[in-house]
Amino acid sequence: MITRLTGGRLFDPANGVNGEIRDLCIDGGRIVADPGRGKADQTVDMRGRVVMAGGIDIHSHVAGGKVNLARLLMTEDHRDVLAPHAALTRAGSGTATPSSFVTGYRYAGMGYTAAFEPAMVPSNARSTHLEMADLPIIDKGTYVMLGNDEFLLDLLARGAEQERINDYVAWMMRATAALGVKTVNPGGISAFKFNERGLEIDGSVPHHRVAPRRVIQALTRALSELGVPHPLHVHCNNLGVPGNIDTTLATIAAAEGFPIHLTHVQFHSYGTEGDRHFSSAAARLAEAVNSNPNVTIDVGQIMFGQTVTASGDTMAQYRNRAFASPDKWIVMDIECDGGCGLVPFRYRDTNFVNALQWTIGLELFLLINDPWRVFLTTDHPNGAPFTAYPTLIRLLMDRDFRNASLGEIHPAAQQVTTLGSIAREYTLHEIAIMTRAAPARILGLADRGHLGAGAAADITVYKDDADRARMFTAPDHLFKDGAEVARNGAVVATPNGRTHVVRPDYDRGIERPLKKFFDDHMTLRFEHFALSESELADAGIDLSVHPCRPRGGA
Amino acid sequence: MNEASARGIACPFCGLACDDLLVGPIGVETRGCAKAAAGFAAQILSREHRVGGERATLDQAIEVAAGILRGARLPLISGLSVDLAGAQALVALADRCGAVIDRWQSVPQVDTQGVVQRAGALTATFGEIANRADVVLIVGSDPARDYPRLCERLVANKTPLYRKEPPSIVHIGPPGAAPSGVPLVAQVPVETPRLLDALRALSALLDGRRAAGGTAPDLPLAPIGDLAGRLHDARYGAIIWDAANFPAGEGGLCTAILLHVLRSLNRKTRCVGLPLGGTGNSQGVAQVMLWQAGWPSRLCFAGGAPEHDPWRFHAERLLTSGEVDALLWVSTFAAAPPPVATMPTIAVVAPNAVLRAAPAVEIRVGIPGLDHGGTILRADTVIAVPLSAARASDLPSVASVASALLPRLGAAA
Repeated sequence: MITRLTGGRLFDPANGVNGEIRDLCIDGGRIVADPGRGKADQTVDMRGRVVMAGGIDIHSHVAGGKVNLARLLMTEDHRDVLAPHAALTRAGSGTATPSSFVTGYRYAGMGYTAAFEPAMVPSNARSTHLEMADLPIIDKGTYVMLGNDEFLLDLLARGAEQERINDYVAWMMRATAALGVKTVNPGGISAFKFNERGLEIDGSVPHHRVAPRRVIQALTRALSELGVPHPLHVHCNNLGVPGNIDTTLATIAAAEGFPIHLTHVQFHSYGTEGDRHFSSAAARLAEAVNSNPNVTIDVGQIMFGQTVTASGDTMAQYRNRAFASPDKWIVMDIECDGGCGLVPFRYRDTNFVNALQWTIGLELFLLINDPWRVFLTTDHPNGAPFTAYPTLIRLLMDRDFRNASLGEIHPAAQQVTTLGSIAREYTLHEIAIMTRAAPARILGLADRGHLGAGAAADITVYKDDADRARMFTAPDHLFKDGAEVARNGAVVATPNGRTHVVRPDYDRGIERPLKKFFDDHMTLRFEHFALSESELADAGIDLSVHPCRPRGGA
Repeated sequence: MNEASARGIACPFCGLACDDLLVGPIGVETRGCAKAAAGFAAQILSREHRVGGERATLDQAIEVAAGILRGARLPLISGLSVDLAGAQALVALADRCGAVIDRWQSVPQVDTQGVVQRAGALTATFGEIANRADVVLIVGSDPARDYPRLCERLVANKTPLYRKEPPSIVHIGPPGAAPSGVPLVAQVPVETPRLLDALRALSALLDGRRAAGGTAPDLPLAPIGDLAGRLHDARYGAIIWDAANFPAGEGGLCTAILLHVLRSLNRKTRCVGLPLGGTGNSQGVAQVMLWQAGWPSRLCFAGGAPEHDPWRFHAERLLTSGEVDALLWVSTFAAAPPPVATMPTIAVVAPNAVLRAAPAVEIRVGIPGLDHGGTILRADTVIAVPLSAARASDLPSVASVASALLPRLGAAA
C-alpha cells in the first residue's frame, strides 16, 4: 500500500533537499520513489508542514544498571511525575530518569525515532539489552565502554600488537551486541580503584603503567582498522575540572588524525581565567574542531533545573559528590571493566558556574561551523532531560529568545560570556543535519536519517511555527518504519524498535587468552559472557546489523 | 562423568549465581554446594494444573485466573521468585489490572533500598572484591548459610589479579555464627542485638570521635578500634553483609551506618560495600520494577500510575489487613506455597511446591535454570547470568503464563 504525503516542505540534507515542497511516498515501511502523479492508496495532506526524517539522539543515557540506580536515587522525580497507563501505553514515572516505556513514548512524542545508550559497561550488557527490550517505538543501540577494562589495559601494558587489540575490540563489540565503543575517562576508572583521585592524559594507570593517551591511540586506530562506522566515542579525562580544555585538546591530538568523537564537550571546555578561576574555553575547542576534520562532537548542553548526573566516570563522580543536590550519591566499582557514579544536580541560573556552563554549551553550538560535526545533546540526563531539546533548539534558532534568556542568568556570567555577541541562528536545514542526517551518517545507519528512496520511513511532520520550542515539542505526525506512531505528541501505536549493531570480523585466536582471563579471574565464565543470538531473539530484540568496512589494516 | 560432554551451567538457587556447574549424564555436579544440590534435585511432584482442586488444562486454568483478576477490586501479585522474563511479564500484568506487586519477605531488601533512596551507596561487584580486596569485613551472622560458596569465590579465590596474598578476613558479629572454612585474622564478638551499637562505635572511631563506651560498657571497644585500624590501613577494603542478618527493625539503620563507614574510609583510601541483597533473583525483580515503573519494590498500579510506599504496599501487611481481594502467587526457585488466605488465590508454582490447601487456581510452571532457560541477576545487581535447562521438561514458564493472562484481562482501566 502506497501512502503519499503531499505538499510538505522537506528538509533532507543527506539528499541535498533544503525546504523544497515535495511529495513523499511510503510503501512497506520504506520511502519509495514517486510512482507517478496521483498514484497512491492513501494521501495525507502535508501542506504548510515541515517534514524531516525521524530525530536521532546519538548520546542519551536511557538504559542499563546506572540508569536504574539513578531512578532509585531520584525518588522525588518518580513520586511527582506520574505517567498513568492508557489503552495503548504502559504506566511509568519520572522526568530526569523516566521509566523505560515512558522514555520511548516521550521520544516518539517529540519526533525522535532513535536514541543510543552511550555507556554500557561490558559486564552489564545482558541486563542493558533486556531492559532496552522494554524501551518501545524508537530504535536503539549501545556503545560498549572500553579503556578501563583490565584485559585491554593489560594488553597495552604488555605492548600487544594493534591487531590483537583490534581482535579484542571486535570480539567485545560482538559479545555485547554494541554499535560503537566509548571510552570514559580512559584509564581513570581503573586508576580510581587503585585509589588515584585524578589522571592526566599523559599520566599513568597504576599497576599497568599505561597512559590514557595510549588508550585513545589504540582504540581510535582499532575502530578505524575494523571499519566500525562510529569513531571512538570519548568522554575525556578531567571532566568538569577548571582548565580541562588542555586535556580535551590533547585528546584530539592523541587520535593522530584517526576519526574521534568527543562527547558532552561542554563539560570539557573549561578554562581557569577570571576572579573565580573558571572560564569558557569554548572558542578554543571550536577552533580545534573547525580545523580538525577528523573530529566530531556532541555538546551536552545544560539546562537549568533538577536532574541527575549518571556516568561511568567514578573518579569524577566521586569528586562531584560535594555538589550533590539533593545530598545523596552512589559510586560503584564494576567487575574489573568499569564503574558508575550517580550524583543528583540542580543547575541554577543564579549560580555563576552553572550559568557559565549554560553559555559554554551554546557558544560551542554557535562557534563550530560545520553542523555535520556537531550533535544536539544534553547528555541526558546529565545536562538536562532529553525533553529539554525543543527549548534548546529555540535557543539555537532564535537570537532574540537566546539573548532574553541570557539576560536572566547570573550577572557575572553575563559579563564574561561572548554569547550575546554571536549573531548566528541555526536554520531548519542545519537542525535537520544536526539531529538527523549527521547522526545517521556518523553511526553508519545508511537507511536512517534521510528521506531518499530506500530509506526506512521514519518521518517527522511539524507544524511550521515561529516559536521553535512549540514546534519541536509535539509534531503533528511521527511515522516509524512507515506506520504512524504519534500524533500531536501523543502515542497512537507502540511497535518495537530495532537494535542497531555492528559485527566486526576478528581472529578467533583472541578467544584463548580471553577464556583464560575470564575463567581464572572473573566471576562469570567466558562461555556465559557473550550474548547469544537466541537469547536476544527470545527477548524480542530485533537486530539490524550494519556493515563494517575495514580501512587499511596493518 | 565424561568431561568432554559436560557443559557449564549456572545455578539460580542463590544470589551468587555460580556458573561453573557441570551437567552431564548423571545430573548436575554442584561443586560441593548443598543448596545447589537441593535445588537441582527438585522433584516433579506435580505437573498438573487445577481449578478448584480439579484437574484442568492450562488454558482453562488461565481463563479462570483471568476471571479472578478481572473481578478483583485490588489484586496482589506476590511471591515473585521468578526470572527476569517472568518479572517483566508480571509487572505488565500488575499495570494492566491495577494490582499491588511486592516480593514476599522483602523486608531486608526494602530496608537496603530505603538507605540508597535517602542517602546513596558505595558498592562493588563480586569481581572487584575477588581481585582487589586486601581486607574483607563480614558483618553479622555467617552469610554462607544463604550464600554457600561466598568465601570460596570472593575471598579464597586462587588467582586474583591485584592482591598478592589472601585478604585479611575480619568478622564482627555473633562468635557462634562466625564464617567457617576461612581463616579469620580477627573476630569481634558482638551478639546480633548489639550489632547496631557496635557499628555505631566503629563509625565513631573512624570519624575520629570517641565511641560512646560509657553508655555501652559491654561493647568490645578495643577490638572494634583494631578493626577500624585495619579498614583504615587497607588499600581496597570490602565490607560484606546480608541485611537479613541484622537485628529485626534495625536493618535500615545498620545499613545507613555502614554507608557512613564506607564514606569515611573513602576520603583517604578505597573501601566498598557488598550488600547481599537477596536470592532467587530478588535483585532482578527490583531492577525490572525500576526500569518498567521507576520504583524498586512495593508498587501499586491501582491509580493508573505506579505508586511506591514501603508500608502501604507491603505484601504481608496487605494479606492480613483485608485491603486486597485476590492473590496471584508466583514462586519458582523458592517453590514456596502461597500463604493460606481467605481471598481467591492463583498459585503459579514450581513442580516441587507442596501446597497446603487447594487454591482457586493452581498452575505448575518450570524452574528457570532447571526446566527451561532464562536470565537472573546476581546479588551484586550488575551482572545478568544466562540459565539453561538442566533437564528435559515441558513445563511452561512464568512469562508464558503471564503473557497468556494479559490479553484476557481487557483494556487498562
